[in-house]
Order: sequence, then structure tokens, then C-alpha cells
Amino acid sequence: MDFISTHSLSAILLLLTAAAALISLLKLDEAGARKIALGASLAVLAISLHQYFNLIDPSNTNLQLVESYKWIGNINFALGIDGLSFSMVLLNAILLPVVLLASKPIAQKGKPRLYYSLILILSVAVMAVFMAKDLFVFFLAWELELVPMYFLINIWGSKNRNYASMKFLLYTFAAGVLLLIGFFWLMTETGFQSFDMKELAVLAQSLSYNVQLPIFILFAICFIIKLPSVPFHTWLPDAHVEAPTPVSMLLAGILLKMGCYGLMRFGLEFFPLPLVKLAPVIAVLGAVNILYGAYAALIQTDLKKVIAYSSISHMGFILMGMAALNTAGYAGAAFQMFSHGLISAALFFIVGMIYERAHTREISEFGGLIKVMPQTFFLALVAIMANLGLPGLSGFVGETLVFYGAFSSNASSSLIQISAAVATLGVILTAGYMLWLNQRVFYGEMNAKWSELKDANSREIFILAFLLGLTLVYGLNPSFINMLFEPMLMNLASITDKIV
Amino acid sequence: MFSIENAYLIAIYPLISAVLIMLFTHKSRVISSGLSIAAVALGLAHSLSVFFSFHGHEAIEQNYTWIKAGSFHLEMGSLIDPLAIIMLLTVNLVSLLVQIYTHGYMDEDSGYTRFYSYLSLFTFSMLGLVISTNLFQMYFFWELVGVCSFLLIGFWWYKPSAAHACKKAFVVNRVGDAGFLLGLILLYYFTKGIYENTGAVALGFTQLKEITMQAIATNELAVTGLISITTIGILIFMGAAAKSAQFPLHIWLPDAMEGPTPISALIHAATMVAAGVYLIARIFPILSIDGSQALQVVAWVGGITAIFAATIAFSQNDIKKGLAYSTCSQLGYMVMAAGLGAPQIAMFHLVTHAMFKAMLFLGSGSVIMGCHHEQDMREMGGLRKHMPITAITFLIGTLSISGFPFMSGFWSKDMIIAKAWEVNMPLFWIAAITAGMTAFYMFRIYFMTFEGKYRGHAHPHEQPLCVTGPLMILAIPSIILGFWGSPFTNYKLQHYLDHHFHSHMEQGQSAMEFVMHEMSLPFGYIPFTMFLVGTIAAYLIYIQQIKIGDKTVNEWFKSSFAIVYSGSSNKWWIDEIYDVIVAGFMFLFRFTWKAFEVIIIEGFIINGICWRGTEFVGEVLKVQQSGKLQNYVLVMISAAMLMVAWFIYN
Repeated sequence: MDFISTHSLSAILLLLTAAAALISLLKLDEAGARKIALGASLAVLAISLHQYFNLIDPSNTNLQLVESYKWIGNINFALGIDGLSFSMVLLNAILLPVVLLASKPIAQKGKPRLYYSLILILSVAVMAVFMAKDLFVFFLAWELELVPMYFLINIWGSKNRNYASMKFLLYTFAAGVLLLIGFFWLMTETGFQSFDMKELAVLAQSLSYNVQLPIFILFAICFIIKLPSVPFHTWLPDAHVEAPTPVSMLLAGILLKMGCYGLMRFGLEFFPLPLVKLAPVIAVLGAVNILYGAYAALIQTDLKKVIAYSSISHMGFILMGMAALNTAGYAGAAFQMFSHGLISAALFFIVGMIYERAHTREISEFGGLIKVMPQTFFLALVAIMANLGLPGLSGFVGETLVFYGAFSSNASSSLIQISAAVATLGVILTAGYMLWLNQRVFYGEMNAKWSELKDANSREIFILAFLLGLTLVYGLNPSFINMLFEPMLMNLASITDKIV
Repeated sequence: MFSIENAYLIAIYPLISAVLIMLFTHKSRVISSGLSIAAVALGLAHSLSVFFSFHGHEAIEQNYTWIKAGSFHLEMGSLIDPLAIIMLLTVNLVSLLVQIYTHGYMDEDSGYTRFYSYLSLFTFSMLGLVISTNLFQMYFFWELVGVCSFLLIGFWWYKPSAAHACKKAFVVNRVGDAGFLLGLILLYYFTKGIYENTGAVALGFTQLKEITMQAIATNELAVTGLISITTIGILIFMGAAAKSAQFPLHIWLPDAMEGPTPISALIHAATMVAAGVYLIARIFPILSIDGSQALQVVAWVGGITAIFAATIAFSQNDIKKGLAYSTCSQLGYMVMAAGLGAPQIAMFHLVTHAMFKAMLFLGSGSVIMGCHHEQDMREMGGLRKHMPITAITFLIGTLSISGFPFMSGFWSKDMIIAKAWEVNMPLFWIAAITAGMTAFYMFRIYFMTFEGKYRGHAHPHEQPLCVTGPLMILAIPSIILGFWGSPFTNYKLQHYLDHHFHSHMEQGQSAMEFVMHEMSLPFGYIPFTMFLVGTIAAYLIYIQQIKIGDKTVNEWFKSSFAIVYSGSSNKWWIDEIYDVIVAGFMFLFRFTWKAFEVIIIEGFIINGICWRGTEFVGEVLKVQQSGKLQNYVLVMISAAMLMVAWFIYN
């Protein structure tokens, strides 16, 4: 146990990698492969909970559980987490078993071993992004993520999967190229002294503003492509529509958070000065995302696209929180990342459940589904309410913190306040599209052809009850999550505050 | 056990019953309804005990930090002061009676236990709102009552009209809530320094005025202007206006009648819609800051709603729709009273209205059941003989709301009208005319339903005791509760709410003398005359059926004032106007989305320049790869020569 406690981060990565290797090497059927994957993911969850309860000290604002292994030259395979990155590790650890449980019908369609190993590799990459303490490791993990994702969409996706997976690949790849340029530029400016992210952060802050700004913009564009933000968002609805349900859950639940995380990590720690200067732009971008995503969701006719655009809208809150330049804004953004991971996973799962039964996602085909799927409806209603920011569920917390943060921002430009004021209209639009969706799918008279649809089975109820139960717990007591990153974000806010 | 210190338990009881019903007992009808009713009965007993043990005027407040981020923190807790206690009593009493009534009304419905779980959940949310210590907590529960209302309006989800109505209610309320949220965050923004320095509860009600005044004194916050305490007040009032169905955000309330009738009585007449008035009473200290124009807006919105809704109530044939517009109109009175600077009188009318309007709605439910789910009053008539208890209680409610002397509605409403006489003459006339209209449309409903001959085809019958019992119990406060706020008790209720309350009654004057004196003044006899005119007109038209020429008055009116009549019966086309606006926005959204995303980004940039463009460049370049060695050598040598030339040139 002691060894695991001191090596908990690499243990997570090794466990997942080993499980992936095992699945691909052994001759297994779907159930066997799923059991191994599930076992590994539960072990990872157990380690994360151990970290949550015993290992992590949130009041310590430095990186913790640091592990460093000599690699190439002055590149180390170095891992470490703080409150912010740990909240993402925890989210990934929570989502992974759920996603694997949800994968049963998809993996049964074919190539189950490949499927489960790809999901595990994807998780390794995502985990490594959040754990990386070395910029080289970060970059490597960032790029590694897109390979399994490409195949997951391309092999198990629906009709238009080639187009969508290629689009995903090209967008993410373009983002990766910008990241690479930024990375090299940064290394050149700092003289390749160190790849350690903490040391680099100090070096980066000492660079002149004229150098910091373009590097930050390169990083930032990479991250907002991943986020995604308007106008780089069009890969997301396509990818979601074509991706199988569990992959959509991962995509919305955790992959998008890589962009948010990158933006916070590099924006706050490496480039606070350009972040402060660009804050008004980011605020406007946030408001545009909130409103554009919401109204695009309002006019979609495909169930999954509504949820996809809803994701884009909710990512806008993260941008706005960043632009607030204070603790409330940052904490709101971080909370929104966590909460959106749970809620969007639940929503995509519900859409998947309906699609699996009805073989269509055309909203106009539905209506009155409560009659045949009453339990699904109750769970869906909780998810819908969470998504529109009902108090008591976690969606409300992030939005509230972001709004308070944005309004009480000390930033010199009042664009932030104006953007936030305009973005409150998004609150109305969100209620509009979510409840309209609810009305058209579940309420009203039922189309007779759906009278044979089955209600949620116990596996599905378990998945949704788990995700939505957490949404409720974190909505009622946000401190369970907020306390993880609040001290360190307060620390970072004091840095940006000085610049302001 | 029932102490003031643990008064927050009053809100917790129904939460426990809601959770228990949802998770465990939903299979058993007896246990579920029993739990739900017991929880609210316990709450009522606790509220009564709090009421009797609350002395002095110091509020009792408890707070817990809900979330903290740096210097920013939000609290949740309970605030027990006279205002909250009055609301606790009202909500618990009406909720208890409605829940008993529900047993009779929903007996045959397959969603019986689900209905009780929603009722409990609503009661919890409403009580949580009532005991809120600060604006943020109130917003929290504000949204929760909204979602309960959504669930209950859409209770019969298979009806497309109900499905539409519940969404409409939530979205319209969200419009108000967006204003509310904006207002409270703006207020926080201007006062955050003070909260951070003093550690006071952020946006707490008890110190709201002091802290806002400090912000004004230090010139942090202006009194008037684009961003000022006036606009903040109006923004927060937007939330109240949506919840209390004030013009032009009233459109959701009549549609909300799609919900089961107990809900119309509890949520859409007595309690939730009154939350807006309660919010105004809570933030009254900042609305009434010297120089702020916000109260003017509040008063006028209230006055306009009162008369506007009354004009629509004239021509409604659905008994519940008629009552719904009446609720709108009465809420208008309350809002106006607060706007005129008398939140105690607004609260007084809130309490009396909760009693008689809950009774009227429950009575209409009894009628609807008695007539086998008929809601059209043209298919009713003469029901008094078949349903005597319902008829008598309905008549009591009608008299009370119309302002029959010495009944509850008389005291509370006439006090509002008298206040308008003091403060704002145009609003006085609006309120007085509305009083006459109220008497007319209420007696119209009563006469059409209970008097004359039965016009329907069912066999009307009286309802069992669990339905008529709550009606009879509510009849008592509908008659006598008004005395609590009348000169006969020296305005005890108003003094309870605000010990600075000032009445015009002189020392040593007897209450009867004083009332007679007031009735001899214009603000006394004008509303009373209006009441008589309205009642007599309704009597002549609907009982005597007098004729103008050879037409009945209604026919004559329809033909002579066709536009007015169709305006009233079509609710002045407000819904249609909104529909056009929404359709316009939807068109705009579709258009810009198509133009921006489908055509420019996807069509032109991604699939055009990036995809086809790359393909095109590839097509051009691939010609170079001819496989002929001499071509490659030619390119190589020319490139080398160009390089050499470039070096020489430099």
C-alpha cells in the first residue's frame, strides 16, 4: 500500500496500460475484455479515491505526489498533480468505469478487444495530460490522445464516420501543430534549460511581453480548438453525431476538458500577463459561445446535435470564468469543467439509449415517450434540469461562480461585465432548448410506433443514477470538489490580481 | 421540540416526506399521502408554535457557508422574522388543506403518489424560499419552486396543451429570473467590498439597506441612471413580476391552469405566485431608498396588471381561466400596494387572498368534478341545488374578493385603494374601477355556475368531505381573517410586520366610528359604490337577463363593441404578439446559424478552401511528378542557379 501511495500516479497509468495490453494479447470475448477493462478502471477509481481522501492536501498549492524518472537528456518522465489537475484525474476515474459499462452494446457489434484497449489507451493519454509535470510528457500525451479517438469514431461510428473522424483528426492535429510551434518557441526563448513545467512557468513569466504574447496565442488557439470555441467548433457536432454513445460520453465528459485544463494551466501559470491583457477578448468569446451554442442548440433537429451544441454553450462559461481574473471566476471555471463532465456524459448516454431503441435521433419523430419509458424520463429530467442550471444540481454552481466572478472582476475593461450581462440571456435560451427538447421527446401524445420501446434496464439505471447522484451531491455541497482547487486558484488569482 | 431555533425544520419536514415517497413508499397510496400530509401538518404546528413564542422584533438568523472562493462566499440559512412567520403560517395552512383535498380530487388518478411527492417537494421549496436569509438563497429556492410548478403543470403530460403550458411557464419565469440574477449580482458587485470587510452575509436581508446605503454614501453606487440602485431594483423586480404574473410576463399563469386543480389553488393562486410579492416586501428597504425610481415602476406595473387582467376576466368561459385572470388582477393589487410604499398592506392582501382564492379554486375543482370534468361555465348553472356546500363557500369567496363590507377582502383591498388615494391619484382610479370590475366578473362566475338553470348534460353531485371540508375550513378565514389587519384590532397584523406602521386612527376613537368616518370619505365610498355597481350589473345581466332592444346585454355588447369584446376574449392578443416575436427570433437564429456555420465556416472555409483547395493544389502539383528524369534535373539545376543568383545579388 505504501508503494502505491508514493507511486499512485504512475500506478494509474501502468494499470490502464497493462489492462490494454492484456486485452489485446489474450484471446477474449466481449465479456472477458470488458471485465478486465472494468477491473482496471475500478482499481484506478479506488486509487483516485485514496488520493482524494488520504493523499492530496488541497491547502498545499504546489504539485503533489510527484514522481520523476530520468528519460532523455534533461527531459524527465515527471508526473505530479495539484488540486486542479486532480479534480480532472478524479473526473476521468469516475467516468471511465461508467463508460465501460455503457460500452456493452457497442463492443458487441465487433472487435471488442480492440475497442476496449483503445478506450483504455485513450484514458492513459488523457490521464497523462492532466498528470504531466514535464512539458514534453504533456505534449506527447496530448498528441497520443487523438490516435485512439480517431479509430474509435472511425471504426464504431455511424454512417458518416469517415468524414467526422477525419475532421476530428485534422482539427486536433492542427491544434497540435500550433502547440508544437509554441512549445519550441518557448523552449528556444528559455534556452532549453528545463522541461519541468514548474521551472518553465517561472522562466516563461520572466520573458518579455512581446515574446510571451505570441507564444500564449499559439497555446491558446490550440486549447480553444479542443475546448471547442466558436469559430473552431464545427468538428464537435459532427464527431458527436457519428461517435458511438460511450465515445461521445468520453469526448464531452473528459476530452474537451483537456482544452479547458490547458488554458487554465498555461494561461494562469505560464502566461498570466498576456492572459490579463487578452481577458476582454476571452470574455467576449465566452459570451459568444454561451449564446451561439444555445441558439444553435435551439434550432437543431437531431437529438445528439442539441446536446453537442449545448456542450459548446457550456464551455463558454469556462472562458468567461478565466476572463474574470479572480478566484470566483477560476473556481467557477474549474467547477464547470467537473460538473459538465458528469452532466454531459449523462445526457449523451440518454440520447444513446433512445437511439439504440428507436434507431433515429430526429426529434420530430418522438413525443410522449414517458408512457413507455417512465424511469428513463425521470432520470432524463434530472439531467435536463442539471444542464439548465437548476439550483441543487452541480450545473448551477459553476454558472453562479462564473457570473459572480465575471461581475466582480477587477479587470480594467468593463467588457467582462458587459459580456456577462449579455450572457445571462443564455440562461433563458438554455431553459428554452432543454425544455422544448423535453416536451418534444417525452411529453404530448405518443407516436404509436414507439409503443414497443423498453424502459431503461438496470444497467442503464445504474449508470444514470450514479452520474446524476453525483451531480446532486456536488450540487448540494459544492465544497466536496471546490475545496480541491480553491486554495491553489486563490494563489494563482493573487498573481493575476497583481498584474491587474 | 418546536422552538424558534430549529424553525428551519419546518422546511425540512416536507423534504423528508418527498424523498421517502419518491424512493420508497410510492407503491403505497395510503402511506404516501399520509406521509405528505403529516409532514405539512407538523410544519403547521411548528409554525404556530413559532408564531406564539416569537416576541420582540429581533429576527433570528442562522447561516452556513454554502460555497467559498477567495473572499467571495455564499450562505444558506434561516431567517425567522414576522414577515417569514406570516408566510410560514399561510403556506403551511393552505398546503395542508390542499393536500387533504387532493386525496379526494386525485383519487382516481394513476399518478396519485407521484402527485403527493411533487406536492411535498413544492412545499419544501416554498418554505425554503420563505426562510431565506439572503437574496442568493432566495434565488436558489425561487428556481426550485419554478421547477415544481413546471412538473405539476405538466402533470398530465400526455395533453399537448399541458406539455406546452409547463414549458411556457418555466421559460417565461426564466426571463424574469435572468433579470433577478443580473440584479442581485450587480448589487453584489457594488457592495462586495463591504461584505468582504465586515464578513456580513452576502446580500443578507437584515443588513441589505445599511450596506447598500454605505455603497451609495461612498459613491460606489448611483441612485439613478443606467447602472444604479433604481435599475438594480427594477431588475430584481423582474423576477417578482414573472413569478407573480405581472404584465407583460403574465402570459404563463392562465395556461398554467392545465395542471390539476389542487395545484392551481396551492401554487398558482395562494403561495408560489405570491412569492413575487414576498420578494418585493423583502427588498422593499432598497426599493424605497430616497431618490430611487424603482417603486414608481413597481406601483404602475401592479396597477396596470390589476385592471388589464380584470378586462380579460370579463369574457372567459372556462371557470379556471376566469379565476386565473382574477389572480393576476389581485396580484396586481398587491404589487401596487408595495409600490405605493405599503408592503405590510401588500402582505395583508397576500394572506387574505391566499385564503379566499385557494377556496375559490378548490371550489371550482369541486364543481369540475361534480360536472364530470366540465370546465365551461356555459355548460353549468343552477349548481347550488346540487352542490350546496360548494355553492355557499364559493359565494363567501366571491363576496370576500369583491369587497363585501367587513369580510377579509374588504379590509385588505380597500386599504390598498385608500393608500393609492394618499399617494397616487391615477392609480387610485385604476384600483377603484378594478374593484367594480372584480365584483362584476366574480359574480358573473358565481351566477353562471351556481344560479339559474342547469345547462349541462351531466348529473352534478356534491363532493365527499375531504373535498368540502377544506372549503368549509377556508371559509372561516375568508370571512374573519381581515379583522386581524383592521381598525378593530388596531391594525395588529401591520404592526406585527412593522412596528413603525402608522394608521390614521386617533387616540380614543372607537373602531366603528373610525370605519364609518372613513367610509364617508371618497376613498371609502368610491370603492364601495364600485362594488355595488359591479354586483348589481352582474345580477341584472346574468340573473334578470335584462334586454337592450331585443338582445341580451351580452349579445348587444358583442355586436356593438365587437373589437373590445374580441380583444377581451382573445386576451388582447398578447400571446399572439409573443408568438410572432419568438418566431422572428427563431427565424433569425436559423438564418444566422445557416449563414455563419453551414455556409461560411463549413461550406466555404472547411469543405471549400481547406478541403477542395487542398485537393486543387494537389491536382496542380501532381503534374510535376511526371517520372521523367530530365524534368527533375531541369528543376534541380534551375533551382541551384536561382540560389546562386540570390547569393550573388546579396
